[in-house]
Formats: sequence, C-alpha cells, structure tokens
Amino acid sequence: MTKDDGEMVEEQKKKPCRFWIWALSSVLFRLILISYAGNLNLSSRPEVSTPLTSIRRLAEGYWLKQASMSPYAGSMYHGSPLLLSLLGPLTVQRLVAETSSNDLKLCFNLVEFKKEDTLDVSGSKGNQVTSFADILSAILLRGIGKKLQMAYGLNARLLGLLKSPRDKGILPCGDIAALVYLWNPFTIVCCVGLSTSPIENLAVILALNGAVTRRVPLAAFGLVMATHLSLYPAILTIPVIFLLGYGLDAPPLKLFLQTRNVESGNRSSTSSASKQAKSKPTAQLPFLWKTVVHFVFWALVWSLCVMVLCRLSLSKHGGLEEMFKRTYGFILSIEDLSPNIGVFWYFFAEVFDFFRNFFLIVFHVNILFMLLPLAIRLKHRPCFLAFIYLAISSLLKSYPSVGDSALYLSLWALFVNELADMKFSFFLFCGYLGVSLLSPVMHNLWIWRGTGNANFYFGNAIGYACFQIVFVVESVSAMLNHDRALKKCNPNHQKVKN
Amino acid sequence: MATENRDKEEEEVKTDDGSPKIKPRPIVQLGIFLISHSPVFSVVFSAAGVMALLLLPLLAKNTYISENALMPGSARSMLSHRDVSDGSKLVNDIKSFRLNHEGQGVEVQRLIGNYMLEMGAEVSYQKFQPEGNHFHPLHFFSGPASYTNLGNVSCAAYGVNVAGIIRAPRGDGKESIVLVTPYDFLNGGDYEALSLGIASSLFSLLARVTWLSKDIIWLVADSRYGDYRPVAAWLTEYHTPSFEVSDLSKCDELNPSDSFRRAGTVAAALVVKVDGRSERFEDTLSIYAEASNGQMPNLDLINVVNYLAVHRQGFYVKVEKVVSLLSSSWLKTVGEIFEAVGKVARSLNPDWKFGIPAADYLEGSATLASSLYSQALGIPTGPHGAFRDYQVDAITLKVSPRFPPDSKGRQHEFCLRGAQLLEGTIRSVNNLLEKFHQSFFLYLLTSPGKFISVGVYMIAFALLVAPLPMVAASLYIDGCTTQNPAENLKSWKWLDAAKQVFALHLLGFIVTLLPYLICQVPGEQSPTNRSIIWATTSSSLLLITFVTVPGCSPFSSRLHGTNWAVLKSVTISAAFIGLCLMSIINFATAEIGALLLVPMCLMVRPIRPDLRSRRVKSLVRALCSMVLVTIGFPVMFFAISKGLIGEGLVGLGLGGEFWTWLESLWAWKSATYLYIGMVHLPCWLLCLCILFHPS
Repeated sequence: MTKDDGEMVEEQKKKPCRFWIWALSSVLFRLILISYAGNLNLSSRPEVSTPLTSIRRLAEGYWLKQASMSPYAGSMYHGSPLLLSLLGPLTVQRLVAETSSNDLKLCFNLVEFKKEDTLDVSGSKGNQVTSFADILSAILLRGIGKKLQMAYGLNARLLGLLKSPRDKGILPCGDIAALVYLWNPFTIVCCVGLSTSPIENLAVILALNGAVTRRVPLAAFGLVMATHLSLYPAILTIPVIFLLGYGLDAPPLKLFLQTRNVESGNRSSTSSASKQAKSKPTAQLPFLWKTVVHFVFWALVWSLCVMVLCRLSLSKHGGLEEMFKRTYGFILSIEDLSPNIGVFWYFFAEVFDFFRNFFLIVFHVNILFMLLPLAIRLKHRPCFLAFIYLAISSLLKSYPSVGDSALYLSLWALFVNELADMKFSFFLFCGYLGVSLLSPVMHNLWIWRGTGNANFYFGNAIGYACFQIVFVVESVSAMLNHDRALKKCNPNHQKVKN
Repeated sequence: MATENRDKEEEEVKTDDGSPKIKPRPIVQLGIFLISHSPVFSVVFSAAGVMALLLLPLLAKNTYISENALMPGSARSMLSHRDVSDGSKLVNDIKSFRLNHEGQGVEVQRLIGNYMLEMGAEVSYQKFQPEGNHFHPLHFFSGPASYTNLGNVSCAAYGVNVAGIIRAPRGDGKESIVLVTPYDFLNGGDYEALSLGIASSLFSLLARVTWLSKDIIWLVADSRYGDYRPVAAWLTEYHTPSFEVSDLSKCDELNPSDSFRRAGTVAAALVVKVDGRSERFEDTLSIYAEASNGQMPNLDLINVVNYLAVHRQGFYVKVEKVVSLLSSSWLKTVGEIFEAVGKVARSLNPDWKFGIPAADYLEGSATLASSLYSQALGIPTGPHGAFRDYQVDAITLKVSPRFPPDSKGRQHEFCLRGAQLLEGTIRSVNNLLEKFHQSFFLYLLTSPGKFISVGVYMIAFALLVAPLPMVAASLYIDGCTTQNPAENLKSWKWLDAAKQVFALHLLGFIVTLLPYLICQVPGEQSPTNRSIIWATTSSSLLLITFVTVPGCSPFSSRLHGTNWAVLKSVTISAAFIGLCLMSIINFATAEIGALLLVPMCLMVRPIRPDLRSRRVKSLVRALCSMVLVTIGFPVMFFAISKGLIGEGLVGLGLGGEFWTWLESLWAWKSATYLYIGMVHLPCWLLCLCILFHPS
C-alpha cells in the first residue's frame, strides 16, 4: 500500500511536469511555424479567417480609424471597436508593407527585403498575442478540468462506484483538454494564421472558468466579452446560470437519492448537487437564486462598461447604433457570401431575394429551437450543455471557422471520463482528418486551377457539417448512456452491500 | 460506422432465440453484409476495379465540340500564297544569316523582330535566365513562381525572347491569343525554322484581317535552355511584372528601352513545333496537352484542332502512346476477348454496340497508358504546361512533314496547310465570348478523337479503393472484440495504432523534405552519392523512430504491443484518405498508386503465425504478401518498371537513377513526389510493420 502511495505521489509529481513540457513544446512548435507564416499564407485561407476574424480586415478597420473615419466604412471590418484598439497597433506595419507592395508596386525590389522584415515583426507581434491567448485558454481549461475531475471522483465515490480514496482510473481531463486545445491543428492554424478567434475562444473559456470556479464577476465578464465579440456565445447564458445555480456536472439527482436510501454513511462534498441531494430528501434541486442574481448584476455592469467604451471610441462615427448594425447586423443578415466552411454562403447565394428574409429567420431559429430541449434534458450537466451549445452554434454559424471547432473539441475532451465509450470515435476522427485535408484541395481546384467549381468546395462543407452532426449526436447519446450505466450499476451495488 | 454495425450485429445474435426481432434498416443491413463478407467483396471489387480499367478504351466516347461559339471550319481560309512566301522568305533569311554569322548575338532575334515590325506589329524583346533545379518544400502548391532569383546574374548564360503583338481592330485590347514558336537561335535545325515560317505566314495574314477581336501575340521563345523555361519566364513577366531593373539588361547591347509589351488576358495559347520527318505517308500532327500535375486544357481546344486538322487540312493526327504496349500479346488477347464478347452481344441485340476491333483496342489502351503515365508523372509534356499555371488553355502541336527539309515546293505547301490550320483554330478561339468552360477539363484521351470523361474513369478507381473502408471496418471490429471486453476505454483502442501511424507519416514527411537539406550540402555531389546520403539518413531516422516511439517497432517483443488488426485497420484508413485526396489532386497518380497500394494493404498479415502453421494456404498467403510488399517499395517499383522498359539496373546505379527521377519530379513541382513521400512510403512502412508484427 505504501509503495503504491509512493508511486502515486511520484506520478502526480511527474504529471504536471509532463504537462508543462508538452504545453511548452506546443508553443515552440507555434514559434517555428510562425517563422514560415509568410510562406504558409494561412491568414488568407477561408477556413481560418472569416469576414469576422480576418486580421486583414482588422488592419483595414484600424487604418480607417487612424484616418479618423468610421472603422465600419467600406464594409470591410465587422468586429468590435475594442478589438481594434487592442490589436490594431500590431497590424500597422503590416499595412504599410502591404500598401507599398500591392497598390503601388513601385520600387518592388527595394521594398521586398524591408517588407519581409516588417511582416516578420508585425506578424510575430500578432502571433505573440494569439499564442498568449492560446496558452491562457489552455490554463483556464485545465482549471475547469481539475474541478470537473474532482466532481467526477466525488460523485463516483458517493454513488459507491469508486472505493479507493485516491482517484485511480480517473483520467486527468483538465490536462487532456488543455493539451487537446494546444495541440489541435485547428488551434495552431488559427494562431499562426493570425485570426482573432483565439481571443474569442479565450473569452468563452474565461466565462466557463469563472462559472465553474464560482467567480461570478469573472464569469459575467467572460460571457459579456464573448457575446460582444461574436454574438453566438450569448446562448451560453443558460449553461452558465445552471452552473452557478445548480453547481457542477453530476449524475442525475435520482441516483443520489437511491444511494442515500441504502447507504447511511456521511461524507463531505463540495459539489453542490451532491450536497443538496444528501441534505434534502425531495427530488427537487435547490436553485441558488442569490448567485444568479449576483451574476445578472455583474453581467449588466460589464455590458454597461463595454457599451460605454464602444460609445467613446465610436462617438464621431454613428455611435452604438452603427456598431450594432455593422457587427450583429452583419452576422445576422449574412451579407458576405464569400466561401467558408459553413453551409450558409452557398444557400444564400442561390436563394431568391424575396425569400431571403424568411430563410434568414429559419436558419437562425434553428439554433434557438435546440436550446430549450437540450437545456431540459441536460440540466444536470451544465458544462456538457455548454459544449453542446458551442458545437451546435459552430455548426449553424453564419461565418464559422476552424477556430470554433478547436474550441468545442477541447471542451469535449473535458468529458473523457464520461465519454469513454463513445461510438464512432475512429470514424469521426478519420472524417475530420479527411475533410480538413480535402478542404484546401477543393478550394485550390475551384479558385486556382479553375477545373472545379463552387459545388466542389460546398460539398466538402456539407461533409464537414455531417461529421459535426454525427459528433454532437454521438456525444450526447454517449453521455446519456453513461448516466444510464450508472443507474444500472447502482442496484447491483446495493445487492452486494446487502 | 464500424462500432454501430457491431452493435447491430450483436443485437441480431441476441434476438435469434425466438424473441421478436428488431430489424435494422436496409442500409445498415447492407453495411453489415458487406463488412461481414469483406474478404470476398474486396477480391470482387478489386478485380472489378482492374477490369474497369481494362474496359476504359471500350467506354471511350467520340469527342464533340461543346461550345457553339467556336464554329470551327465555318469560315473560308483567307491565307494567300503571298503570306506563305513571306514566311518562306523569313526562313531563308534566317538560314542564310546563320550560315554567314556564328556566335552568341541577338542578330537573329532582331531579324525576326524587324519582320514583325514590317508587318505592323509591336515588338518587344525579353531577356531571361535559365533556372536551376530549386527544390523548395513550401512552394509546392503556391501557384506560379512569384519568387525570382535576383542574386548572381551572370551574363554568360541568358536567352532572349521576341514577342510581337497585333492589336485587334475589333477588340478592346482586353483579350489575347498567344502563338508560341520555340526556336533555338544557336543550333536550331531546318525543321525548327519551318515553324517560324508557318507562324510568320499566319502573322502576316492576321496583321491585315478585319475580323480579329482578340489581340494576337506571337512569341518566338529562345529554346536554347529547353522549351519550357523561356515560355515560363515570358509568362511570369507578363502576369507579375517586376519593377526592378534587372542586371540582365546591362549584359548586352540590345536596347532595353523598348519595354515589355502586353495585351489582355490570354484566352488560349498554341505552341507550334516542327520536328523530324514523318514516318507515315501523310504529314503528321501530334497533340500534347498534359500540363503539370495532370492538368489538361479544355477538351474543346483539342477538339477544334483535331477537327480542323482531320477534316480541313488532311493531317494525320495522333497523340502520344506507349509503343511497347502495341506489341504486347496479353493485351491483344484481352482485346480479342472484348471483340468476341461485343460480337456476341451484337448478335443478341443489334443495338448493343460496345465491342471495338482488337486493333483499335490495342491502340486505345496504348494511348490511354501514355495519357495516364504523363498525367501521373505530373511533368508537363511541353511548353504549354507553363500556361496552365495561369489557367490558360494551351496545347502543343508538333508537326512532322513527310518531305526532307530541302525540298522547296513541298515546303511551301506544308507551310500553307500548317498556317491554315492555325488560322482556323485562332478564328474559332477568336469567336469565343467567354473562357473555355463548356467542355471537360478532367478526361483521358484514348485517341485524338476519343476521350474518357471523369465520370467514367472514376468508377475504376472507386471500385479499386472500395474494399479499403470495408476491410478497415471489419478489422476494427475484430481488433476490438478479441481483447478482453471488460477493459475500459475499449472504443479508444485505435489511439495507440493511430500514434504509430502518425509517427510513420511524420517520418515520411521528414524524409520527403530531406532532399532539400541534402541539396544544401556543399560540394558537387553525384546523384548516386546524394541518394546514398538520403538512404542512410532516412533509415537511421527510421531506426530512431522505432527506438523512441514505443510500440512502433515491428521487432519489439512486447506483449502489450498494439493489436495488428487495429493497426492494419488504421493503416488502411490512412491509405484510403491519402488515395482519395490524391485522386482529386492528380487522378492518374492515385490510380497507379492504388494499383500498388490496395493489394498490398489488403493482403498483408503478420508472417510469423503463417510460417509457423506450415499449411499450404498460409504459406501461399505469406509469399503473396512478401511479394506485394517487395514490389510496393518505391525504389523497387522504379527498378521493375525500368526493367520492363528494358533498362535493367542494379546496385548503386539504380539509386542515382532514382534520385535523378525524383529530382525531376520536384523540379516540376509534381504532387506525385509528395504522394510518394507522404502517402505511399509511410503506408509501405506500416505494411512492413504489420508483416513482421510479433503476434
């Protein structure tokens, strides 16, 4: 036993060490790729940069702002004005180099060497920001994972599935999720391609982390920022409120009640769900209204701050109304039909104008329709609910990029313990791999070689959407199966006890 | 897919004992049926795939002109004898000039330029440098070369192109048609000069006509450093102007003041070459169409040229074919069988007309083989390849006259016909309102007048690779069920195997990039030496991978090593993805690769249990997989195909030859090189791992 313990301690010492080695090597890998960023030309790929996340558009917006024009003039930039002040200065050199090489085309030879230098400098600065955002997201994810892992172990012990006091056999889901996020090719491509999606992802993860660790102002801040940057995270309000109100992910309440009837042992717990389950015999979970009101208050405060800041920065250019029209309006009305990995652009390029509004409503309501049923079915697992929401929104977004996939894939890794028996894992892996390799080839065939057409690329987008749907469906069914399996395990356990 | 099917299967087994059955959906049933009988189906599908490939010449359709605007041959030729005489005069002038003057100068170019000026064209000269073999791993798919080598310009070696532009009287100057005649100004032969004669006859006509709506550019490409390079250099300058003052301009007395001249976007390009004497009774016209990475020009362009050449000018039109196949007896037998089947079918129902004579079949398959080969190689078959990088449809027309070069009368008639053919083609392209888009881009030729479209030839490939997912699924089910079922994470069994597959693919990627580093090694190395360096570094890297990545090595005697069935399943999936990707990038490479890779991946099993069992069946199986794996090694396949052609090579010479071949592939940015390094080689290594798996 002591030997075992010693080993465990050693292992635990080793593990963080190994985690940091892998995390650092991922940063190193990014730095290596960044030095080739000019050659890879990732920032112009439709998979990486959408009209909302493209750094080129941001540079354009910044230039307009510097020229004391509205950053939204010319329909190029559609992001937040705050992001402009944050990232804008990093793009300025790039802008200079590009205007001199693209527009003037004079003194090409002289500029070339200089251009490369400036590109490197500005590129690496921007990349520093995105890499930093990635690392921060990974650390926050790890924090979420640690909490979830603890809750999982605790619940398993409460249900009597896990005997030993140590969490043997429970995978360190935080480390796994963080490494999945850092080493996901999608994340790396977004980071090197200088899109703003790492920052949006950071905001989302910040919100979840705040909710999991019960830091209400942080959660509110993350949620407000994420919503401000890309609108869709607004639907995360539901899981965040659940997290704050009901506590962390736990098996359904009924199970605890059953177990409690048989067992009479008392153990301390931190997970509010299990605590409540034990303190009250009723099948009703208490909802912590106070925390939620606290959260709503903070959310209002933060939104007010954001509004005021935006108002200040746009005071001469139409104010907030202009901002909402050019950012949220742009997202909702799908004005830009340039190809991306989503399914909207093709449809709205084809649809007749007088049907356009109707289909806009249909497409957007699609997301909203799914919110309520999922919230009811998965209310005992708010983190998982957040993951499902993010996956669905990345599927039905108007301008999706691979950065969104990177986010939900790493959130998925938080539930490795529960989803161990997920079906189709290999099939899905091959599918994601195949589709993401096929996408640039199809794009090349259509745009550069001219031997293909838009259907080639759109077919690829449909394939990607199908794999995402299968992924979501299988994740949910695996989670529900996991809950059912717990139910099945319980009576057996009771018999043994008796 | 696999796991679901397994579950469904289990359900079926459970419900066999009389309880009410839940019938799975028909498509799931079909899937289960296919997967559970995967050995039979894989044999059937692979055989069908090979069969479909052999059937392709039978399925070829006659070409037809799809774009109505082209209207080939509808206008009467306006070419007069005077134009042809002008052309002949230019040829004679060049010949006499070359006799009297020797050396490097640009006098001949000037001569041609002056002729163009007299005809009323705008003339510009362009200097370019021959380019070395620069392998850069990141420039593979990055379009036309925008990186120009500005350093170390030497005046010792450069070429000068001459380009003349006729402005179209009815055009707006936004479109143009390019006519290219490669000519070696240093040691071009008499036949080559004839191509200048043809072009200049045509040019003098086009300078006068009123119907032109697209500008005509006549480019006389200086082919002393090969045909391709001058055209590519001219196109680069045409499309991506560089504003630096090149050092080259100081090299010569040629006045650089007449700057580079441009017309509009290029609608189509024709490269005309005259070479050698025709072996046939008629004048022969060979059409070359393959550009880099198996890209083809629009079929309509070939159709127009073929139609005019056959029906108006009476040329004998041919496309390249593999001559050695014409005499192969087995192919002849196959052709005779198909002919007999076709006859039987026709006797049953006269409407079934799919049989073709055995001789036609033989011709068709020889042409098809050549078409497949040159597409698979990914190296353009002529200067027209440079145009394809800019999405311009272009073909090379190689004309071989039937007369010896010194017969004057024949020469005149030949020039007339050649120029009339070009005139007709240009007139058709001139009619075009849009880009070529009506007809096919993806096709294989079996004769100048017959083609196989993508919808037909993809069937052969699809049948060939269809067994891969089936076998992968069935192996995956096997691999997962044979383990103890109580184990946790059993649906993630494949992760270990995936790690191994990933490690070997990464190795393949590094091996693919190694030549870039080896080329940086100082000193003039022979290809043999370089290939030795490459082989040693690659194999040492392989050893390092085996040592460092646990579970990778086939020689480790660990009991907990990955299950070979799962490993094979993941390998097959990787091969499937790789082949499907390649079939979109370059179909021909994928087809040939699939012929090698699919049987190897399907057959390979651990050899030890087979040898231990000492039964005839398993011994034969072991032998088969050994043979397939041996052939599957790229170097071995290269040696065998060389041997078939008749250049048997063994030992170090082979290495050098192989290196030279690969060097040519990457110099032309052929995706085949990437395929060999990043799909074929890793899959071959994985098959080797499975073959020697300790199970």
